[in-house]
Amino acid sequence: MSVVALQSVSKCFFRRDGEQLEVLRNIDLDVPERSIVALLGASGCGKSTLLNIIAGLVEPDHGRVLLNGTPSAAFKDWRSMTYMFQEDRLLPWRTAAQNVAFGLEATKLSRAERRVRVAETLDLVGLSQFANVYPYELSGGMRSRVALARSLATEPSILLMDEPFSKLDPSIRAQMHAEVLRIAALRKVTIIFVTHDVEEAVVLADKVVVLHPRPGRVRETISVPLAYPRDPLATAFTDQVRHLRRIL
Amino acid sequence: MTDARDVPPTSGPAAMKVSPAAAIERPARAPSATDRRLRTLFLRVGLFVAILVAWQIGSTNAPAFVLPSPERVWRVWISLVATPSFWTDFGITFGRILAGFAFAAVVGTVLGLVLGASRLLGEAFEPLLTVINTVSSAIWAIFALIWFGLSNWTTIFVVFMTAMPLILTNVWQGTRTVNVEFVELAQTFRMSRRQVLTKIYLPTILPPFFSGARLAFGFGARVSLVAESLGATSGIGYRLRQAADLVQTDQVFAWTLTLIALMIVLETLILKPLERHLFKWKERVPG
Repeated sequence: MSVVALQSVSKCFFRRDGEQLEVLRNIDLDVPERSIVALLGASGCGKSTLLNIIAGLVEPDHGRVLLNGTPSAAFKDWRSMTYMFQEDRLLPWRTAAQNVAFGLEATKLSRAERRVRVAETLDLVGLSQFANVYPYELSGGMRSRVALARSLATEPSILLMDEPFSKLDPSIRAQMHAEVLRIAALRKVTIIFVTHDVEEAVVLADKVVVLHPRPGRVRETISVPLAYPRDPLATAFTDQVRHLRRIL
Repeated sequence: MTDARDVPPTSGPAAMKVSPAAAIERPARAPSATDRRLRTLFLRVGLFVAILVAWQIGSTNAPAFVLPSPERVWRVWISLVATPSFWTDFGITFGRILAGFAFAAVVGTVLGLVLGASRLLGEAFEPLLTVINTVSSAIWAIFALIWFGLSNWTTIFVVFMTAMPLILTNVWQGTRTVNVEFVELAQTFRMSRRQVLTKIYLPTILPPFFSGARLAFGFGARVSLVAESLGATSGIGYRLRQAADLVQTDQVFAWTLTLIALMIVLETLILKPLERHLFKWKERVPG
C-alpha cells in the first residue's frame, strides 16, 4: 500500500493584486512504503507547496490526498510524519538535547521517556557529546544533524524534507546524504524530499518525480534502480543525472 | 567563525573524539581583556576616591546643613541603621515598590501580548501609550493623592503608572520579533496554541521583557520616593522630606546612601546573575 498518494491535486493562490496564480495542476503521486521519493524541479514549480499539502499545512483546491489510505482530512496520526525545513530552525534558547526534545513535547511521553528518546536520537546522529551545547556553538553541519535528530526523535514513519541540505558545504552535504540513507534504512522511514539539485535526487531517491513550472505539473516519474551507496563518479550514476537534466 | 569540525558521517568512535570544548569559540587575545578589566577597576576606584576627596574639601568650606562631611554622613548612617524605625520604613518603601512593580509586570505583559497579537488594537492603543509616557511622575503622584489619599496605594499607583508602560512597550516590541519559522515548526509537530505561546512566544519575549523590567524597576524605585514625599506618612520618601523640613541634611545624605546601596545590591546580587543564567544561550561578543 502506498504511504502517500495524491490524486489530481490542484492549487491556486490569490496574489495581492487579486490575480489568480495557478501553482499546481493535476498532480498524481504515489509513494510506496519505505521508498525515497524526490520532487525535482526548478524554483517556481510549486515543490514546497506540494510538500505542504502532503503535510496537511495547505489545503488543495481540487483532488485527494491519501495518507496510509486515509483521506488527509480524516487522518489522525500526524505525529507519524515530521517535516525538515530548508533552514535548521533550531531554537537558539535551547540546547541541542532540548531542541531534539521539542517535537516530543507535543506527545504524551513522560519526561523520563523523552530523555531516553533524546539520548538515543542524539547518539544516532553522532552528537551525544554535544547534548548540552547551544546552537550558536555548533557548526552548520552539526546544526543540520540536530535538526535531523529533532525530526527523527518522534520516530516518524514519514519524513518530509524541503531542500534541507541546500545551505551546507558540498562535502558536509555528502555526509548528511549518507547519514539520511543510513537512518532511513535503520528506522524504516519513508522519505519525500524536495530538491532542485539533480545529483542530490540521484544520490538519495529510488523514485524521482520531475516537475515543470508555471503551473507545476508532473513531467515524468522515473525510478533510479541503482544500489546504495551510490557513487557519483560511476557511469551509471552520471547517465542517470544526464537523463534527468535532459527532462528538466 | 567557530572552529568546530564536522563529525564524520559514520558516527563511530572516531566521531566522539571531538570534545564539546572544541566547538566553543574563545576570544583570541584573552590576556589583554583581563588587562583592560584591571585598568577599568583602577580607574573606578580612583574616581571614587576623587569624589570622596572633593566632597571632603567641599564640606570643610561649607556649613554642615549645606554639605555635611563624608565622615559625618557615615556616622549618621550607622546610627540611622541602628534605629528600629529604619527597617520599618525601609520595608514599607520596598514593599510598595515591589507591589507596584508586580502589578506593572503582570498588566504590562498581558497588555503587551494582546496588543502584539492584534494589529488593530495595537494601532488603536499606540497614541494612548505615548500620552501615558509623557505624563510626569509628579503629576501621577498628585492624581494619586487626590484619588487614594495618604495610603499605600498612592505610591503603588505612581510606581505602576511609571513602570507599566515601559514593560508593555518592551513586551509588545518583543512579540514583533517572534520568528514565523519557529511557529511553523511548532505547527508541523501539531502543537496546541498554548504550547506555541509558551515554547515559542515566551522565550522570544523574555529578553526584551527582562530589559524592560529592569528599567521599570529602577524608574519605579526612584518615583516611589517622589510619591512618598508627597503623599505618605511612612517610608523612605516621607523620612527624606521630614529630614529636609528639619534641615537635617546629614539624614538626607544617609538615606540617599541607603538607596544607592540597595540598588547596587539588587543589581549585583540578583539582576546580573539572573540575567547571566537566563541568557546564557546568547552568543557573547568577544572583547
